[in-house]
Amino acid sequence: MSRGWRSFAIGVLIAVLVIALIPWVWMLLTSFKSRLDALADVPVWLFKPTFEHYPTVFLDKNYLPLLWNSILVASVTTALSLLFGVPAAYVFARHDFRGKEDLFFFFLTTRMAPPISVVVPMFLLFTTFGITDTPMAVILAHSTFNLSLVVWMMRGFFADIPREIDEAALMDGHSRFGMFARVLIPLAAPGLAATAVLCFILSWNEFLYAFVLVAFEGRTLTVGIPGLVTPHGTLWGQVAAVAIVATLPIIVFSIFVQKHLVRGLTFGAVKG
Amino acid sequence: MISRGISSALLDRGVAPLLLVPAVLLLVVILLGPFLYMVWTSLTDLSFALPDRDGNFLGFDNYRRLMREDAIFWHSFGLTMKFVAIVVTLEFLLGFTIALLIFRFVQRRRLVLTLLLVPMMLAPVAVGLIWKLLLQGDFGMVTYYLRLIGILDIRDALLSNADAVLPAIMLIDAWQWTPFVTLVMLAGLLSLPREPFEAAVMDGARPWQIFRDVTLPLLRPIIALVLLLRAIDAFKEFDKIFILTGGGPGTATELLSIYVYRLNFKNWDLGYGAAAAFMIYLVVLILCAVFYKAVYWREGRPRQVTS
Repeated sequence: MSRGWRSFAIGVLIAVLVIALIPWVWMLLTSFKSRLDALADVPVWLFKPTFEHYPTVFLDKNYLPLLWNSILVASVTTALSLLFGVPAAYVFARHDFRGKEDLFFFFLTTRMAPPISVVVPMFLLFTTFGITDTPMAVILAHSTFNLSLVVWMMRGFFADIPREIDEAALMDGHSRFGMFARVLIPLAAPGLAATAVLCFILSWNEFLYAFVLVAFEGRTLTVGIPGLVTPHGTLWGQVAAVAIVATLPIIVFSIFVQKHLVRGLTFGAVKG
Repeated sequence: MISRGISSALLDRGVAPLLLVPAVLLLVVILLGPFLYMVWTSLTDLSFALPDRDGNFLGFDNYRRLMREDAIFWHSFGLTMKFVAIVVTLEFLLGFTIALLIFRFVQRRRLVLTLLLVPMMLAPVAVGLIWKLLLQGDFGMVTYYLRLIGILDIRDALLSNADAVLPAIMLIDAWQWTPFVTLVMLAGLLSLPREPFEAAVMDGARPWQIFRDVTLPLLRPIIALVLLLRAIDAFKEFDKIFILTGGGPGTATELLSIYVYRLNFKNWDLGYGAAAAFMIYLVVLILCAVFYKAVYWREGRPRQVTS
């Protein structure tokens, strides 16, 4: 392969990276622009930054509780999904029972279920429970898809651990519970961490369930975003500030899970 | 010690499946219950807008109306099919090409991937918002440069032009999800065994022949997987369009999920809306079963596409 081809390929890849990154970077720049710079006819790339939008939107306009709700919903959803999902994944990895693979398929369908087709009755159900417009409603809704993610991912991670380890742990005098908690869980820890982070990301980014199930008190950041966009006079500096706070943590998290991202997003079918 | 004894007993072979109960119970109550209720509602005339329509049983009337009389439903269905077919093809071709370039020419792959993956990690709502800003008619950055190079007329804006808006949204979807295809295809490329390639080189095969006769056949399962996963996801597309256009102008971008949203939350026509929602569910379920049978499940055993 000639040098020319190599330079050409590298050039194409750099162009791809620029296209991938510029839109988000533009949002970042906008969050530091004055109103005049943000609305300029000719795009402004260099400007004197202002730091007013972040305090304005999060403190004066009271978007701080939305950030808190996002953190709360994503954390509790993750904890709940792991608590219920990890033991289930262990059973799928190590035990055989009738209808096992059918049940596994059921988990897949819950992961893929289109939110738009269940969100109305879910809203009615949560009204009966009296939990609409609370973070709990969103937590339960998000647990449906994250639970299946945990089951699918962790089954693979447990299956990667040789069965001989189980037997050795039992021979060493561990109870079955001790074997699970003190031997298998530590061995699966990297996968467990990646699964947890991925759960957090998926819950944090989800929109439709959260949008329908909460109106005021339980709003998360993604739900707060459309409210800022109005047909006329949108305050883009503030919108951008919210968008950056809603996306920056996820970009950072994704670096930590990159190694397991492929596996998580392909339901364990492809190992990264 | 008693509780530990019980836990240990639970993990014993015979009763271990009991550990599935909490997970299954949660899904049955929160998801399957509402789903069955939706199926029931789709057989009634339930509406929150009209007082006399409080859930009278209709049989399959809603479905009959949907299939035979609802031109907008079929318009949305057609748009959705077009959307899925085009974005999945586009994302696959772009994503696979980028994966091949990275595989062949880049040593520090992790760094490149980290940057490349940013679009797909963003909340789809945020993606919609970012592109709404970029495509604003009077001050959007991308609008400005498109006009500068003469692609866009001075009075025109992509999001309010009924002919241009759907292609624009397809490109935005490709912007967000092409990295996913790259990520998975690169993992596939890196997992390929060396021997077939060495053998092909020994036989004097040309690079193009190696790609066509060795690389592509070996990657076939992973290609099927990535196409299906993207198709399922694209079929459910809602967030970005909701922010960018809300289905408009007119019904130019009213994909199925947006139409179902309108039936339920603007018209409050819950019975009819449930029937339309069920159609989405049905398509996704079929795609899901194909994914499971064709890709994940092989010869009676779950399998890994790569190892």
